[in-house]
Amino acid sequence: MDLALSDDQQMLKETARRFFEKECSKTLVRELLETPQGHSPDHWTRMAELGWLGLPFPEQYGGADFSFLDLAVVLEEMGRALLPSPFCSTVLLGGYPILDGGTEAQKVSLLPRVSAGELILTMALLETGAAYDPDDITMTAEPDPEGYVLNGVKLFVPYAHLADIILTVVRSAPGEDGGLSILLVDRSSPGLASTLLKPIDDAKLCELSFHGVRVPRGNVLGELNGARPVIEKALARAAVAECLQMVGAGQVALKLSVEHVSSRVQFGQPVGAFQAVQHHCANIATDLDGARFLSYQAAWRLSEGLPSAREVAMAKGWVSEAALRMLSRAHQVHGGVGFITEHDLTLFFRRVNAAAIAYGGSSYQYGALARALGM
Amino acid sequence: MDFKLTDGQQRLREEVRGFCLEHRTPEVYEETFWNHGWGPASREFFKKAGARGWLTPTWPKQYGGLESTHVDQLIIADEMSYHGLRAGMVGAGMAGPTILRFGNEEQKQEYLPRIARGEIEFALGYTEPQAGSDLAALDIRAVEDGDEYVINGMKTFNTHCHFSDYHWLGARTDPEAPKHRGVSLFIVDLKSPGITIRPLWTLAGWRTNEVYYDNVRVPKNNLVGARGRGFQQIAVALDFERMYPIGPLTRLLDELIAYAKQATSRGKALVGDPIVRHQLAEVAADLEVCRLFVFRLAWMLDQGQALGHESAMAKVFQTEVEHKLTHTAMKIMGPFGQLARGSKWAPLHGEVEYHHRWQVVETIYGGTSEIMRNIIAQRGLGLPKGA
Repeated sequence: MDLALSDDQQMLKETARRFFEKECSKTLVRELLETPQGHSPDHWTRMAELGWLGLPFPEQYGGADFSFLDLAVVLEEMGRALLPSPFCSTVLLGGYPILDGGTEAQKVSLLPRVSAGELILTMALLETGAAYDPDDITMTAEPDPEGYVLNGVKLFVPYAHLADIILTVVRSAPGEDGGLSILLVDRSSPGLASTLLKPIDDAKLCELSFHGVRVPRGNVLGELNGARPVIEKALARAAVAECLQMVGAGQVALKLSVEHVSSRVQFGQPVGAFQAVQHHCANIATDLDGARFLSYQAAWRLSEGLPSAREVAMAKGWVSEAALRMLSRAHQVHGGVGFITEHDLTLFFRRVNAAAIAYGGSSYQYGALARALGM
Repeated sequence: MDFKLTDGQQRLREEVRGFCLEHRTPEVYEETFWNHGWGPASREFFKKAGARGWLTPTWPKQYGGLESTHVDQLIIADEMSYHGLRAGMVGAGMAGPTILRFGNEEQKQEYLPRIARGEIEFALGYTEPQAGSDLAALDIRAVEDGDEYVINGMKTFNTHCHFSDYHWLGARTDPEAPKHRGVSLFIVDLKSPGITIRPLWTLAGWRTNEVYYDNVRVPKNNLVGARGRGFQQIAVALDFERMYPIGPLTRLLDELIAYAKQATSRGKALVGDPIVRHQLAEVAADLEVCRLFVFRLAWMLDQGQALGHESAMAKVFQTEVEHKLTHTAMKIMGPFGQLARGSKWAPLHGEVEYHHRWQVVETIYGGTSEIMRNIIAQRGLGLPKGA
């Protein structure tokens, strides 16, 4: 048992923190959330230069050959910075599935471009049923002479409006077992239209409508009908990435709270001297430590390739609730100033609420956990 | 980072499990689990555990330890407590470590090997009627008289006194000093003339005690550490006490899941009910946080770090999860959950009803949740003490 980050991870974390403190002020975050792209192309270039876009990919595909656990420390810092970026959609929902399920030719042609910052990727999974369960996929891939034809709607697709390639999950064979494939869909395909949704955190989530979109046969990622394990791993990583970002956000919520209650004077003393206020802060600290342990435990298991259904469900279920508690207590101790839009806490409140929902909230995850516990 | 136990640690857990299953007779279980104490059968059991070094694994070999890690120690305590063997262990868990740290050589020789062998047990003597959370207000007096101290006053909520051998007593030796500076720690033979022990029966059904001291004479050498530094030494020992193993909670959850799989409600398996599934999964995740919190304490000690607010955090979180767990159990079991031991229809031998009464004690004993949160806020986050 070793609960500390390695020296390398500590260094990576500090590099990331310094980078975001310098390059991603909350003023910039607010501006970026207002833009149609929803991210900074300059950040994108710089992150490619830092090697972060290819961090977990093997060197032969232009990556840095780090582990998912190494990536975890960067994700925590992204949460702290509230970085608006297609980083997760590209690396976790695009690059990793290509690495896990793609053919050698697909890896060779796509991953080096991901690492170089030349491609933005995303995955289109959810439909109007909106469950993060591969069983619920209904969009079919109708065979035609050159490949497949897609019709239907995909929802909550992050950064689909910018993505070069959309990994589209389809039911390619009937029946609940297997039968799922990932198709590499070019965003400029005729018949494909994206519309921005308007989520609570102003993230760029899209509705994608497919009207007779043609996909060549060669664009099946890896094996036809073989996508289920690839999707499940991608969802697990994405869920843990949200946990890590909530940990980063919770860390800031605690810091802002302690600073505020230490300096805000009422009744002749800092409000942080009142026991009721102290206990809110103590509860935030406790939720934060619990969230950190569960998130890193899940990241570590994924990183080691160990069975992780139980730990991922525990992490995403528990951390989603803990993050909401942290933010609501942070708001409580901030009093009025915390709910004015100029206050950064409002940004964290918005982000954490979206993160808690993404890739399954507590209701969904505790259902998955019950199964993992043999119920 | 690495969250797994080593192969050696896994084997240790298996070994302890096998030992518990072999030696935990119904009589032992009756004493340790249902009576929350030691009796003739459990004394024999703990001697057997002591012979393996399992009561004090981190201690130096010369005093009966194994010089093993705190993680090992926690694994042993966790596994034993899973099997209902969680009788206090004040000697091994609190008095012993304090003697090891602050005691003189004679005291170490006198008490440590016997604690390690499971031959003697201590009872805590901290709380007084006017000194609960405000422990520094304790007022039992120890007055020097030749080679002895003469002690007068009373203690309350001193669990284990009625079956223990020694009292681990905080008494005021210097009434003129500031209240945090005037307390000293004593080891008192509970058979000393002048000690009267009266029962207080808890909601849980087990016994705690009031203890009266009437001119009790204690040799001077029974003062542990520095005179007047008792309060600081107690604070260190409390950090050890708050390293609660989660075995009892793990077992209750395991049993509850097993129960939900076989029990039915309105003709359907309980485990098929989405609400039941959600409640059990949620508390399983809470329990995982408890596990990581308590293993953090052991890991920190193994790294040579001092425990700060982290032990308070583990304590308050775990005891509140215990409330939630037993409450969840009561809800899931419906009308059956209220049935006590001995009742024909009581599920899990009435353990849920018992545990549900017991958990009321847990968020108060060893430091209330309010004090724990004060520690997290003040020691952990640096917030000011209130006016």
